[in-house]
Amino acid sequence: MIEALQLSKSYGDHLALKSLDMNIQRGEIFALLGQNGAGKTTTINCFLGFVSPSSGDALIDGISVKSNPQETKKALAYIPETVMLYPNLTGIENLAFFSSLAGFSYEEDQMKAFLAKAGLQETAHLQRVGGYSKGMRQKVGIAIALAKKAKALFLDEPTSGLDPKASNEFSEILKELSAGGTAILMATHDIFRAKEVAHRVGIMKEGQLVSQLAASDLTANELEKLYLKTI
Amino acid sequence: MVKYLLLNFFRSKVHPIGLALLLVSGLISLEIGSRFLERVDRVSEKTAIHQQESIARNVSYFNKEMGNLMYYLRFGLENETPRLAGLSIGQRDVYPSIQSLTVRNLEEQRYATDLVNPLFQLLGNMDFSFVLIYLFPLVIIAFGFNLISEEKEGGTWSLIRSQAHSPLLFLRLKLGIRLVSVLFVLLLLLITGKFYLAIPFDVPFLIFGSVSVLYVLFWFGLTWLVVSFQLSSSQNAQVLLSLWVVLNLLLPAGINMLQRWFFPVPEAMSTVIQNREGYHSQWDKPKEPTLQKFYARYPEYQSFLHPKEADFSWLWYFAMQQAGDDEAAVEVEALKNKLDSRVQLAKSLSWWIPSVHTQLSLNSLSLTDLGNYLHYLEALEEFHEKLKAYFFPRIFSNAPVLDEDWSKFTLEKFRDQPQVNWIQLMAPFGLSFLLIWVWAGYNFKKSGIQSIQKH
Repeated sequence: MIEALQLSKSYGDHLALKSLDMNIQRGEIFALLGQNGAGKTTTINCFLGFVSPSSGDALIDGISVKSNPQETKKALAYIPETVMLYPNLTGIENLAFFSSLAGFSYEEDQMKAFLAKAGLQETAHLQRVGGYSKGMRQKVGIAIALAKKAKALFLDEPTSGLDPKASNEFSEILKELSAGGTAILMATHDIFRAKEVAHRVGIMKEGQLVSQLAASDLTANELEKLYLKTI
Repeated sequence: MVKYLLLNFFRSKVHPIGLALLLVSGLISLEIGSRFLERVDRVSEKTAIHQQESIARNVSYFNKEMGNLMYYLRFGLENETPRLAGLSIGQRDVYPSIQSLTVRNLEEQRYATDLVNPLFQLLGNMDFSFVLIYLFPLVIIAFGFNLISEEKEGGTWSLIRSQAHSPLLFLRLKLGIRLVSVLFVLLLLLITGKFYLAIPFDVPFLIFGSVSVLYVLFWFGLTWLVVSFQLSSSQNAQVLLSLWVVLNLLLPAGINMLQRWFFPVPEAMSTVIQNREGYHSQWDKPKEPTLQKFYARYPEYQSFLHPKEADFSWLWYFAMQQAGDDEAAVEVEALKNKLDSRVQLAKSLSWWIPSVHTQLSLNSLSLTDLGNYLHYLEALEEFHEKLKAYFFPRIFSNAPVLDEDWSKFTLEKFRDQPQVNWIQLMAPFGLSFLLIWVWAGYNFKKSGIQSIQKH
């Protein structure tokens, strides 16, 4: 579903991605670990079409992002590290707006259901986002992704800054989505969360995927040791 | 999507305040225009009455000699002010709308103007065209300078790019809402102005409206071009405000300087001096040459003769007055040509400067520009000739004053027609739109935010 073929990206002399190969199946959650600057965000940006690769290709559902960005965009959803919304609109209005950008139009009940599923308390649905905490905005971001019913979901540090309970709820939602067939690529620093949620974990260093392993093969401690050794 | 863009637009305080500011300053400008028109009407009414009264009074005092009476009598020609001038006062506040002439020499009378409060000249009028040309762009800049950068700086841009089929469509709609809201205020003001100032709904008014709309479109286009470079908010604001200063202050001042540089008018002074010398010196000269010149100019009066050995006759007096005008004729022609060249220079340069083009077009449609004043000066010349042609035979033959029906000499009006050249009006805007469209399109394409067609 999410596939990288010899994906490379250079900025001048600097190689941000070096011939990355990766394949994430339907319903699979893949966690990308790595230091800042290892190339995690660049990888995601290549799939989103924000960055055009220097060589190689990124495919979503078998379609090349480079040659058919409008089609791949329909198939994906994205939750940035910090979800920023329009402070003058309510939670529901933000959800409605971002869904309308993607061509969806939902009834209010449906939108409330998405927000509720994302874990946003009902009292906040009709409040302006200006008064939301980071976690609440993040939940609207999740609702936006849910409403897009995407086949591929990209997450960039999705749980950074969330409290443990919110993080936990978030993990549950990801598991649910994956059970429904969504392929998920998640860049994270949170080794524990990666081990908890992901089916597979990849460790990136200097633009390369240096190791890939099944999350079930290791404990969180073993994963941390491996991570520290690798980088 | 439009619904939520609208909600977001109106819920931020900046936008309603900006629109209200435009509306209020626009309404003030209409009030200023209305007062201007009232003043013009009042002057016209008073002058018409005064002319009748003054003729009647003079006729009652000086009814022995036609020549003596005609030394005093003044006849007014009004440069009719269209109602549209209330929207764009232009130079009408400096140039008089009525000149009253005697049949004596013209040049001395032609440039006698009203007294104008110099304070008003310093500040200019805050008429509708001022609000349109100077204030509308500021609000447009405030609405559009951070069109993309506020999304980037506010962190919403990545989510928009990942959600939207076409981020460019999103940006167009966003700018479109701002455009429609500003156009709405503009149209509201134009319609209010139409009724408040009783402007006829005719071709010049329609073109006036179209030019105003095009000018607003131009500034939105310019904003679109600047944001297409995707600089930061503060950089965009700096660039746009600099453009405002250059387009609305520096370039107009520059054109003014070029006009003076290329077409200086020393004739303005020398005309007056030559004219004065032309007739004052006649008192000390033999009368015969003066009369010969007069006969050469107007052969039809050859049958009227100056009494031999006489020190004075009205024939000689008006011949001598004519000599003053004739003496200055070359200079007058040069002055007119140079002023006309100034008008033409500004017109040519304005092809590349939409703000100047707008100002010139609005003033020209409202008949408040230098071009109209030059037409009026020519009309004054014809009017003066007409007066002379009528009164000279009566003066020279000393027709009985009381046989004349003086009540028929009412205030006359000169009605200029705005010259409507569609290509000249629209083409400069077309040029800038084309440039903006191509350049901004190139920028967006380069940056990867291009329009994506739906399948």
